[in-house]
Amino acid sequence: MSESLNKQNQELSKLNEDYESKYGFHDPVDYFHKGTKGINHEVVEMISKMKKEPKWMAEIRHEALEVFYKKEMPKWGNAEILKEIDFDDIYYFMKPIEAKKDDWDDVPEYIKKTFDKLGIPEAEKKFLGGVSAQYESEVVYHSMQKDLEKKGIIFLDMDSALREYPEIVREHFGTVIPSTDNKFAALNTAVWSGGSFIYVPKGIDVGIPLQAYFRINAENMGQFERTLIVADEGARLHYIEGCTAPVYSTNSLHTAVVELKALDDAYIRYTTIQNWSRNIYNLVTKRASAYKNSTIEWVDGNLGSRLTMKYPCVQLLGEGAKGEMLSVAFAGIDQHQDAGAKMIHAAPNTSSRITSKSISKDNGRATYRGMVKIHKNATGAKASVECDALLIGENARSDTYPTMEIDNEQVRVEHEARVSKVAEEQLFYLTSRGLTEDEARLLIVNGFMEPFTKALPLEYAVELNRLIELEMEGSIG
Amino acid sequence: MKIQNQDFIIPEMTPELKRGPKWLQDKRTASKKSYNNTPIPRRGLHLWRYTDPTKFVVDKAQVTDAVFRDNFDEVIKSELALFKDGHSSAFVLDKAGRDIAFHINDKLTADGIIISKLSDAVESHFDIVNKHLYAQVNSNTGKFEAMNSALWNDGIFIYIPDGKSVEKPIHLLRESGLDNSAQFPRLLVVVGKNSEVTIIDEYSGGSEKQSDNMSLTNSAVEIFGDVDSRTRYISLQRNGEGAKVYLSHRAKAEQNASVLTVPLAFGAAVSKQNFGVTLNGTGADSKMYGLLFGGGRQHYDNHTLHHHIAGKTTSDINFKVVLKDKANSAYTGLIKIENEAKTCEAYQENRNLLLTKGCKVETIPELEILNEDVICSHGATIGPIDPEMIFFLKCRGINKTEATRMIVSGFVEATLKQVPADLKEKISEFVTKRLENI
Repeated sequence: MSESLNKQNQELSKLNEDYESKYGFHDPVDYFHKGTKGINHEVVEMISKMKKEPKWMAEIRHEALEVFYKKEMPKWGNAEILKEIDFDDIYYFMKPIEAKKDDWDDVPEYIKKTFDKLGIPEAEKKFLGGVSAQYESEVVYHSMQKDLEKKGIIFLDMDSALREYPEIVREHFGTVIPSTDNKFAALNTAVWSGGSFIYVPKGIDVGIPLQAYFRINAENMGQFERTLIVADEGARLHYIEGCTAPVYSTNSLHTAVVELKALDDAYIRYTTIQNWSRNIYNLVTKRASAYKNSTIEWVDGNLGSRLTMKYPCVQLLGEGAKGEMLSVAFAGIDQHQDAGAKMIHAAPNTSSRITSKSISKDNGRATYRGMVKIHKNATGAKASVECDALLIGENARSDTYPTMEIDNEQVRVEHEARVSKVAEEQLFYLTSRGLTEDEARLLIVNGFMEPFTKALPLEYAVELNRLIELEMEGSIG
Repeated sequence: MKIQNQDFIIPEMTPELKRGPKWLQDKRTASKKSYNNTPIPRRGLHLWRYTDPTKFVVDKAQVTDAVFRDNFDEVIKSELALFKDGHSSAFVLDKAGRDIAFHINDKLTADGIIISKLSDAVESHFDIVNKHLYAQVNSNTGKFEAMNSALWNDGIFIYIPDGKSVEKPIHLLRESGLDNSAQFPRLLVVVGKNSEVTIIDEYSGGSEKQSDNMSLTNSAVEIFGDVDSRTRYISLQRNGEGAKVYLSHRAKAEQNASVLTVPLAFGAAVSKQNFGVTLNGTGADSKMYGLLFGGGRQHYDNHTLHHHIAGKTTSDINFKVVLKDKANSAYTGLIKIENEAKTCEAYQENRNLLLTKGCKVETIPELEILNEDVICSHGATIGPIDPEMIFFLKCRGINKTEATRMIVSGFVEATLKQVPADLKEKISEFVTKRLENI
């Protein structure tokens, strides 16, 4: 067992020598529209003009910018790191020269190389549905299998969707997350570019997972993608995205807004693995509205970034709606993963479950911050929250801030949290069976993550395991 | 006295600021400044999310002659009788934080145990008071702690010398005045090495119904448990249902000391209480067993803190909440384990039982863990009585009211086990009374 693990480890180290060489590449940049740094109404107007957007969208952008100016920076989370963000030192929009391609062969060589490193074509080969990779602010490559089109499923980048299906976009855009929600949602609404748009018609089961891969390339480039997913009555879909950014010395901002809508009896699962480089501020607003008997599942992995503040939310608006959150966070050196979930029960017999796993290593800090709110009319609601934290290294830090606000007495709410280090007994047991301490620790950590990895499609689970192994290397001083 | 003015500042001329020797006057003045300069906490702030801070502001922080409830004389008589029968080793009657009377068992005095007015101890036990007073609850703790630090008129001082143990509990009865009164009681407890004491700190009186002139009680409690000491502190809040109560409690446990804190709350219209134990020495242990039972429109806001500064320390919290009618409760509890505090264990549990429609609960059990060598867990549950349990009991010929009473008694039992038998009986009576008409 030990040998095979060793062999696996060696292979893995070949695969993933370190982040710098695997994901830290960046292509020479010759941007068509690099624009200027900073944010104001002119920049917003420019973005809107360049995209030839309808007037109503431009108005939404300008209004949102005003909201952005008015809103204060959050004083919680990690206010010190947030203070470092200089909104005037960020490019809010740029566009690679080449136009959007529909065929892989047409994609320029340097972009292909980037995607090769990310494994996108492999995923394609595996028939994983449409690929929509976001390179900088616009989607340059986007394929969709013919049978999806036949079913009437719309899977486009957000800009194309706005051009081709303006009515559907207008009907849903900003209805789950209004620009007044928070400062970063307002910023995104003002300068959004790219992102995915999915519409699944009534009663259609997509069957295969749809996936998009995001990465940020240019330094000081903000990434403001906007994703909107609508599952009509009885529809089912699974959407996956991964995020990677190359290593740069100065910091980049990633502020996305993701809105999901599951109409009656629909099912949406949204899987993300975030592996931004260690200089990204990852401040994302994600929220879903779940109508009668529908189900929303967030599967959320946070491994990268300097600071992540992300609390995916499900608003359970219809009777019998279900919300589920399964998340894992890994905070390594100098990282702060401030993540959690929100479940808002606003209808009777709704149920929700939050399972949060976090690992803090070295001086990393993992925070669970969550909210379960049960409104007066949500009789018969059930909610459970479970947080597990594992600490590795004597300076690791773990925080748990769950909030539960209950306005109805006919409910069941449970919360549980545990924090501990890797148990000595477990290590002893495994080492006495011939594993080295490193191997034993890795095995325990993988076991700890198991409920999460099980929820991922195979190739993502494999990649996650690799990333964890990479992080765990040399965890014993 | 109107309690609405948010811009209230403590005036220079307030006579309390001139009480005590020069060093104390200076501290009072500094606290006054801090109070005057600190803005009212914003509602968005973590610990003020669920309670309106303006409730605890007064515009004339002084009370000349508090009027007490009608049956107060009878209460005193019966409490004194209990003391004389040997149920407690001392009975202290604290009227509105300014007129304090002491009844102390002779044995305690013979053992060198001091139970006295804080204003006397400031002179007679200068070293001890100077070292400990304001060490844990002071103007840095918060705006309303600064208010008490400036305005306390007189307080209670308890000192147990090294190696002494007080067998029967020390009973403090802190009576608040009726409408329009404001009082700032203060308690300082210093428990010597390898000593043992049980204190029952009972708050009663105050406004009996809600109005514009509700009484305000702002209390500060500081407890110091030296090496190997064992301190049990029971806080029983049964103020009138129109009283506003603010309490800030801090205890510090040195090496191998143990502290038991039992916060019990049944009274008041608005009650915001903050219980904190600092585990300052290796091997120190803290346990907290809280219970509150709210009815009517009562509002409770409790915060607990376990701060592990030293290694090999353990803490455990079990906080129970029972609500009926339109009562609401917010509970926030923090376990903080510092980087230097290795090999700690900390547990926290908050259970909420909702008996009727209309009550409301918030719970935020929090963890801040700054090192890996810990075992830590917390849990919270919220729900009504399981209908199956009622069904089970009904099948056995027990009517619904009785079944409910039995289940609630079982729910609160773990907490009541921690208090002396006399008190337990008293509390069981409250609980039974509260369960009528459900």
